[in-house]
Amino acid sequence: MRKLAIFSLLAFRAISGIDSYASSAPAPERIQRGEELQVSSAEVGRYGGTLVVGQRAEPKTLNPVTATDGPSREVIGRMMADLVHINRVTQQTEPALASSWKLSTDGRSFTVKLRQGVRFSDGYPFSADDVVFSFRVYLDEKVHSPNRDLLTIGGKPISAVKIDDHTVRFDMSQPYAAAERIFDSVAILPQHLLLKSYEQGSFAQALTLNTAPDTIAGLGPFRLKQYLPGQRLVLERNPFYWKADRDGHRLPYLDEIAFLFVGNEDAQILRFQSGETSVISRFSPDNYPAMAREQQNRGYDLVDLGPSLEYNFLFFNLNELPPDKFQQISREQPWFRDLRFRQAISLAIDRRSIVKLAFGGRGVPIWGNVTPGNKLWINRELPHPERSIPQAKDLLRSAGFSWDEKGKLLDLERKPVEFTIITSSSNAQRVKMATLIADDLAQLGMSVHVVPLEFRAVMDRVFQSNDYDACVLGLGGGDADPNGDMNVWMSNGSTHLWNMHETKPATPWEAELDALLNRQLVTLEYKKRKRIYDEAQALIANNLPFIFLASPNVLVGATKQVANFRPAPLEPYVLWNADELYLRQQGVATAK
Amino acid sequence: MLMHRKIFAIAMAFAAVHCGILFAGFFAPYMPSAQHREHAYARPTKLHFVDAQGQVHIRPFVYPSVPVEGEGFQYREDPSSGYPIRFLSRKSDGIHLLAVDSQADLFLFGTDGYGRDIFSRLLFGGRISLLAAMVATLLSLLIGVAAGGIAGHFGGAVDAVIMRSSELVLALPWIYLLLAIRGSLPLHVEPTRTLILLSAVIGAMGWARPARLIRGVVLSARERPFVSAARGFGASEWYLLRRHVLPQTLGVITAQAVTLIPQFVAAEATLSFLGLGIGEPVPSWGNMLSAFQQFQTVSSYWWMAAPLVALVAVSLTYFVLADALHQAGARINSGQSYA
Amino acid sequence: MRILDYLKRRFLHAVLLLAAISVLTFGIAQLAPGTFLDEMRLNPQISAQTVDSLRVQYGLDQPLPVRYLRWIASAFAGEFGYSLAYNMPVSALLWTRMRNTFLLGTTAMLIAWSLALPLGIWGAFRPKGWIDRGNSAISTLLLSSPELALGMLFMLAAARFGVLPTGGMTSLYSEQTGFAVADVIRHLAIPATVLALVAAPMLLRHVRAAMLEAWNSPFVKAAKGHGIGNRRLLLHHALPAAANPLISLFGLSLAGLVSGSFLIEVIMGWPGLGPLFINAIFARDLHVVMAVVMLFSVLLVIANLISDVLLYAVDPRVRAEC
Repeated sequence: MRKLAIFSLLAFRAISGIDSYASSAPAPERIQRGEELQVSSAEVGRYGGTLVVGQRAEPKTLNPVTATDGPSREVIGRMMADLVHINRVTQQTEPALASSWKLSTDGRSFTVKLRQGVRFSDGYPFSADDVVFSFRVYLDEKVHSPNRDLLTIGGKPISAVKIDDHTVRFDMSQPYAAAERIFDSVAILPQHLLLKSYEQGSFAQALTLNTAPDTIAGLGPFRLKQYLPGQRLVLERNPFYWKADRDGHRLPYLDEIAFLFVGNEDAQILRFQSGETSVISRFSPDNYPAMAREQQNRGYDLVDLGPSLEYNFLFFNLNELPPDKFQQISREQPWFRDLRFRQAISLAIDRRSIVKLAFGGRGVPIWGNVTPGNKLWINRELPHPERSIPQAKDLLRSAGFSWDEKGKLLDLERKPVEFTIITSSSNAQRVKMATLIADDLAQLGMSVHVVPLEFRAVMDRVFQSNDYDACVLGLGGGDADPNGDMNVWMSNGSTHLWNMHETKPATPWEAELDALLNRQLVTLEYKKRKRIYDEAQALIANNLPFIFLASPNVLVGATKQVANFRPAPLEPYVLWNADELYLRQQGVATAK
Repeated sequence: MLMHRKIFAIAMAFAAVHCGILFAGFFAPYMPSAQHREHAYARPTKLHFVDAQGQVHIRPFVYPSVPVEGEGFQYREDPSSGYPIRFLSRKSDGIHLLAVDSQADLFLFGTDGYGRDIFSRLLFGGRISLLAAMVATLLSLLIGVAAGGIAGHFGGAVDAVIMRSSELVLALPWIYLLLAIRGSLPLHVEPTRTLILLSAVIGAMGWARPARLIRGVVLSARERPFVSAARGFGASEWYLLRRHVLPQTLGVITAQAVTLIPQFVAAEATLSFLGLGIGEPVPSWGNMLSAFQQFQTVSSYWWMAAPLVALVAVSLTYFVLADALHQAGARINSGQSYA
Repeated sequence: MRILDYLKRRFLHAVLLLAAISVLTFGIAQLAPGTFLDEMRLNPQISAQTVDSLRVQYGLDQPLPVRYLRWIASAFAGEFGYSLAYNMPVSALLWTRMRNTFLLGTTAMLIAWSLALPLGIWGAFRPKGWIDRGNSAISTLLLSSPELALGMLFMLAAARFGVLPTGGMTSLYSEQTGFAVADVIRHLAIPATVLALVAAPMLLRHVRAAMLEAWNSPFVKAAKGHGIGNRRLLLHHALPAAANPLISLFGLSLAGLVSGSFLIEVIMGWPGLGPLFINAIFARDLHVVMAVVMLFSVLLVIANLISDVLLYAVDPRVRAEC
């Protein structure tokens, strides 16, 4: 019995003293002559240590070409590199694998100079062939890459042509305003490892979680070390990485990044609070007060990065419906189609309460599709009408609505105005928004029911069956550039939620919007383009296809040990500069 | 005699709880969906008996609470003026047992994330939840007893078919069927219809376990000497099952019943997630409980455990009642088996 | 010989049952709204054409029977279908996770039964004693608490006191320490306790009810009258008489080994079938769902067979049937 006690004590100490078991990460390679390193401007750190990150769900794949889910992209982003990168803090592009690039005078071709002496994480040299191969894969219809659409400009995919070993030219069918931004997050693949599986047509199966680490290579700061199903995925330093700090030490500083799959946000928070993870990326505002309370005695810092790019909105079903199939909805649609009805609803919604109750005050009310988080593109001139029930009632009256003696709102046929709002039950904040809206609209005499449904049931109704009255959803979070949202606003776009499958613009203002958006797409000068996009935003805000509600702030945190921590309001929020992150105190300071 | 008095006492407690729930409109100070947005996540309102001057009042009074600037939802009492609690006061929506003037609030169990009074929601929510859970329990036990009884008593092919279908019921991914059912319903379903639907769905899914338990007991019970004896006298099998075999499963049935009711109340939260439960803003114990499964509520807003406490209290009265009934029943039963 | 015939018959039934379950599951999944690709549809950066071409590639445009037959073929080839989310055969996802789920489930079941049996027996032995009253209060509390709330409380406590890990199954680098087993036990403690606390009250109630009945039955009273000691009375008379419903319960909890821990696995980051299955359900990754449902069904069939055989072995009266 006593022996057992001693044994377990030993075991306990051995496990709690885990830090002494150093990781076996490779040391950074010596810098070779002719190696064109990018120099980071970040504070000089020290080598060593493991950064532990909690992920809500397990990544599904390591294939950068097919990955769509957040966790996979978070991991893959650390293992891969792109030609031109969007700095997540400044939201501007900066050189990555491409040391420089030039746009031709007609705006139709890009010539990209590649960095010299770069090697993949397995030591194999990188050249223009890898770039050409990568774009061949991304643009191959049979591979079904979700990135393909971004690389398709004016209906034609861009083409990559090798000029010499370190120069590639990209040709486009028309001038393109977002320009070099399209290269962001397009991972450059190792041709020497993937050519075979690509030619055999098994590319989708090439980079799964079960692929052996030594057959995966990338150009990112880290490479795969270990994957334990359902538990964690560990990345280790890429000893050949192409960035160095100001003192000439090759990055990254961290020996390893361990991604733990914790299950959900609550678990993510608890693991962070207990010190098992070192950073937390984007948690919901509800949890902020409880997290902030423990900030002092647990030694972590929380950062509120201000409004995100996410915009939440209410929209009505304006689809052309077969009237025999959806009698009820067809009867309601004349209300929804009336701009004054939508304006009245927008006026009646208490956005301040939404921010306060759904986001715990950590968010901003919005009246347009671009949030204050998008500093480059927001139209600051957009009006922000104050909530006003009397004004809303006037609008309804002018649209022919009336009220019965009990205060119930009646339409032109003197039928009571009653409808339902669907929303995804897995998003507590949106359920809250819908519930608050229902209560607000009761003050106009409308009888509104909130129906939370499972996420895919909502998707099915919005995209397929069109069997709903109104819906609360949120979009945004990808790129700050307007082009990322084109499919939402173009009348033939695939996420044109309020009226799917429009073959031609259903209303004059939608035609106008299409024209504006198409014009900004080919306008290269930022100022001109911004003016056009401001106009588009005003058009949207005036016609209210979406009734914009609020945008939550981006909230992140890190233990005090994590240095060079510079989170950004764009995905992936905290790990975008993983190559520069280092841990104070811990690890051997070989760099100094 | 002592036994009966005890059953009576428990029955009174039982009745009191259900009375509160049945006449929720009278006992609840507020409408369950009334939002007090300036008082979200407010702690339970303190009842005071002694005022600032040290004077004792027999009639309790409350101080209005005012939001404190800063992080989260913090409030403090404003002791400048107290408001007495009024009993049996008449408001626009009828007579309320307890009320205060509108300048102050009476949140006996605090408020939720919309500033809705938890006490009122508890009373109104209990109606739907307890009724649905009881009907569902009854339904699943009825099916369970019938299926298990017939399977165990008649055996053979009947047994095989019934038991294999119970396995089918246990194995199928119900969640997809529930989603399909939700898809075929109109978007807005009235609370009463939701209630019927809920109990039907839960009942239909819940019979497999009790059926297995009861079948096991029946397998054994039908071979008891007195059953065989009755069979010898020419009693029909159906008669035997009804009269002699099933009464012996009473222990298992009551044990099942008291465990199923609280479970079914909680199960409604899952159904709400699929859009089949009681939707906002109508309260139910299930959807109130589901709020108490999140980190923020458990760690910051302890008073939101109120539905849990209520459920435990009600389940305890059910349990004690069932236990007492079972013992009384067992006495009669054992007397019968001697006869 | 008779028992062999019986087993043969049961095996035949089991095969039919599994076939029925697979067909019904496939059909029901079809009825649920939404498909795997819906999440992509909401992403403005992915066009409808890409989503549609993926639909064709995954064979989701094929008629139901074709898809079912493809799944059957793949199941017999040992792959159990293809996961759309993971882009790999389901079999590659299944086995490690199944082992982890079994580890957690078995531990929890052992704890639950070793709590429920003695406490239930004691409660029946001394009804209305303080242990019995305590039992009924605590078990009512546990029965009424949602599993997730209970898990959350334990995790909060773990995060506060820091003695036990807040989730997961192994520590980083634990395989290098030489105390890998102790490490897994430390991680197992909380989820297994929570699961046991969820399962035990139901068992406790039944143990108590069955024992109470047995204890008050005429033949135990008669035995008592003959001056047989309590211990002997309990082990040789009351317990066998009370065993019947307990065996059925045992069968059910055996079947629950796979499915009972799903929710707890998700919130505690236990690398079992739970997170895989629940994500697959909501993602409509049908073949993963099918594989887990079939696994559960096989276990259910086996568990019920075991409990029927046990019932037959323990209760002489049941034997008349077979």
